[in-house]
Amino acid sequence: MTDATHEARDDQLAVSAREGSVSVGHATVAGLRQPIVAVLLLIAFFTTISGKPLDGFLMLTVATLLVWDAARSLMGASAAAGRRDVAARPADSSSKKALKGLGWLTGGGLYAGIVGSFSRYSWPATIAVVALGCLMVAVGWQGPLRHRQAPGARSLRRAWLWAVVLVTGGLWELSSLLQQPHLTTDSYAHPTISALTDPLLVSHPGRSVALGAWLLIGWFLVGR
Amino acid sequence: MSSHNVTIFGYLIVLACGVTLQVLAIRMPERLPTLGEVFTHVMRTRTGRVGVLVAWAWIGLHFFAR
Repeated sequence: MTDATHEARDDQLAVSAREGSVSVGHATVAGLRQPIVAVLLLIAFFTTISGKPLDGFLMLTVATLLVWDAARSLMGASAAAGRRDVAARPADSSSKKALKGLGWLTGGGLYAGIVGSFSRYSWPATIAVVALGCLMVAVGWQGPLRHRQAPGARSLRRAWLWAVVLVTGGLWELSSLLQQPHLTTDSYAHPTISALTDPLLVSHPGRSVALGAWLLIGWFLVGR
Repeated sequence: MSSHNVTIFGYLIVLACGVTLQVLAIRMPERLPTLGEVFTHVMRTRTGRVGVLVAWAWIGLHFFAR
């Protein structure tokens, strides 16, 4: 189903909401119908049964919040407000921007250095990563940090090329995972990305570099 | 070539395709979007933004959290 079809149906629901004919049940079903919610619920299920209940709980929480947000928007007869982001925050002056950038860089470096000193899968590392992940999702929920020009429709027609690359990478990783002797046992013949990065993440500097890269990607994404 | 090397070669080909696409997109902005522009487009809605950021958070959880 196309985005336009979804939008037309949601707009119709919004009109019904204004007329007072949308029930809580209908609004909740509309929220549940979002593809991202289904994906998050599937991830929550599979991560929980594969022994990562914390991941599962967090995915379930975000899925629930998205359903609640969509239902609330619809009940308030403002589906467009829920679907479209609020305007980007006003831009800072260049000196304030430089100071802010320096602050973020220092904070990010400290975070990577300190959290990298904790062993992988330890509680201190878990708390630090979960806290930052939740914070970034909460910041992203509010809308983009700065205004960016929308890409041209002409160039976006070839965005499928990126989808091909990303999906191929995901399928290659999945095929390696499924060729392991067990889901939790690495295979030398068919290494996953996790198995290939294990030697790097054994040491403190390696973990700090990886955390730094993770932070940079997060910063790149939250600014979109 | 061993299965180990074939698997790694596969990852490297995917990476090389991504880098090539990005370089082509920078050189021909009217014909191909950069990865950043694709993310800007995907993240124009709240669900898109949250979905992408959750995927990012999940990577951190997967590699570091218990």
